[in-house]
Amino acid sequence: MNALFSTLFAVVVFPGFGFLFLCALAFQWIDRKVIAQLQGRVGPPWYQPLADFIKLMVKEDLLPTSANPLICTFLPMVSLTAVLTAGLYVPVGDYTTNAFEGDLIVVLFLLSLPSLMYFLAGWLSVSVFSVVGGSRALLQYFAYEVPFLMALAGPAIISGSWSISYIVDYQSQTTWMVLIQPVGFLLAIVGLIGKLKRSPFDIPKAKSEIGAGPLTEFSGRKLALWHLSLHAKTVVGVFLLVDVFLGGSDGLAWWLTPPVFGAKALMILLILAVAGVLYARLRIDQLVSLGWRVLAPLALIQMLALIWMGV
Amino acid sequence: MNDTDRLTIPIGPQHPALKEPIAFRLDVEGERVVESALRIGYVHRGLERIFQERNYVQNLHIVERVCGICSHAHTTAYCQAVEAILGVELPPRALYLRTLLCELERIHSHLLWLGVLAEHIGFTTIFMYTWRDREIALDVMEDLSGGRVAHGVNVIGGVRIDIDEEQIDSALARLGQLEELMDTFMDVIHHERTFEARTRDVGYLSPEQIHRYCVVGPVARASGVDVDLRRDAPYAAYDRVDFRVFTADEGDVWARTIVRARETVESVHICRQLLENLPDGERTTRVPRRVPSEEAVSRCEAPRGELLYYVRGDGSDRPARVKVRTPTLTTLITLPQQLQDINTADVPTVLAGVDLCIACADR
Repeated sequence: MNALFSTLFAVVVFPGFGFLFLCALAFQWIDRKVIAQLQGRVGPPWYQPLADFIKLMVKEDLLPTSANPLICTFLPMVSLTAVLTAGLYVPVGDYTTNAFEGDLIVVLFLLSLPSLMYFLAGWLSVSVFSVVGGSRALLQYFAYEVPFLMALAGPAIISGSWSISYIVDYQSQTTWMVLIQPVGFLLAIVGLIGKLKRSPFDIPKAKSEIGAGPLTEFSGRKLALWHLSLHAKTVVGVFLLVDVFLGGSDGLAWWLTPPVFGAKALMILLILAVAGVLYARLRIDQLVSLGWRVLAPLALIQMLALIWMGV
Repeated sequence: MNDTDRLTIPIGPQHPALKEPIAFRLDVEGERVVESALRIGYVHRGLERIFQERNYVQNLHIVERVCGICSHAHTTAYCQAVEAILGVELPPRALYLRTLLCELERIHSHLLWLGVLAEHIGFTTIFMYTWRDREIALDVMEDLSGGRVAHGVNVIGGVRIDIDEEQIDSALARLGQLEELMDTFMDVIHHERTFEARTRDVGYLSPEQIHRYCVVGPVARASGVDVDLRRDAPYAAYDRVDFRVFTADEGDVWARTIVRARETVESVHICRQLLENLPDGERTTRVPRRVPSEEAVSRCEAPRGELLYYVRGDGSDRPARVKVRTPTLTTLITLPQQLQDINTADVPTVLAGVDLCIACADR
């Protein structure tokens, strides 16, 4: 009975849906507020993300007649489910549910599912803008995913384990991974920006070119779920980088863990926000060439260096 | 390549990349535009006919509303044409004030344009900064004339407004502030690599194409064609101020950006000279209500290039014909050329680069 209760608690409240939902709203607000301040604007009040979510939930839900309503409803749900499941395996603070050897690979796989759903959403919702956006999303996926995976493989090679919590433990005994492989951290950040389709890599949803990209035809609850899944993905992605590169909770005392972990997550979020403010959006061919000519070789060199050093 | 690989993307009449209604149909293969078609006329208001049914003074208000950005340039060209028919000489103070507003309008138009371009290439920060700093120019105009966009400054035979020492000082202070802020944009244009990556080699026009399509204004100057009416055929008080005309040789959107940014700074210098050397005296001369049956052509350098007004009187207080030719018309016809064989992602950049004013062109 007790085991069942704790499982339910983990799935529904912490670190499952409830926690991730609140974090998604909070991160979204911090993100928007910081960007607004940097751009000389005021920014939204704290409840704006929640208000947006509620507004979309109660709005009318429309789809083009030629789009398959079943699949189009299914896609955002799968996307959200994948992200929330990934969230269960990423240690938050010193809290880990059922960590196992290889959970890093599972998390990475689950985090790449929304990108595929996003592409399918564009492809199946039969609008010119969404089709173009969908094909861009797929191209972008191939540009950032490889360097991102290779960058995250670095810490796993050093610590000799594919378990995120083991990597965290390893760091608390030695030092942060970001100090050992700063290049890998940089690549992971760039990859995460691409993964989250944030500016300057918001190519699939470049609004001056193709409207809202793959989500052009989505509205109401489906759009709300899409947005939630993208924002939850931000949270999970940021937590993942904190765990893998910044030492997670550092094995500190229980009362020090939340502020330290929160501060680290905030730092990565700030890096993401500043990157979005500083640059103009790239073109898809420029991103692909950046991904394969610069990021992937860099990641490969780093990986070979780690193996060669025999760590 | 068969036809099924082609996708037709409609841009407009309503689209996030467009500030005014105009329609493009782009046939794309993958991300490459293979064919484009243009459709205009969504904001045609029949203004040239309306001009014939109102008297010269009433027309002034309509002329001001042809365009939402270069309203003062339109009234300047219109008033100059009517004044030319009547043969009146304007007092120097009126000419200076008229020129001052022309330059302030150029500052506000160019900054607005830079913001639109930045937004189109996904550079939201620069969009926010330019539109924030553009407020300075708008504030100065509001302080001088009472209107931010439609100023109602020009009247036939002079200007409506007068300014005192206090206004001059505050305008000079604000313009100094604006000049400092322009450094940021210059820095971004020259050194930000993502900005260059998105604007270099996009929308190229050769000097030969510029001549063939009669393109004017900053777009022509960015292709190395050195035309500027303010210097070539000085009107108002332009023969009494020193300024430089900037050109670039690249002929792409980046060159258009740098030309416009430099012009903005130069406009600040012109405004400063005008404010510091503002002569005393009358602001208007008396003009008759009826205009003889003669005709006149007047040109002025609007922010987008040469603006032409043709006015013919018939002895009554109403014009027999007013014809407007706006700079946008010339850039519109270069668009199919510029949109040929480019990446779909560059389409908004090209559209922004030529700085279309559809309301002007359609009338």
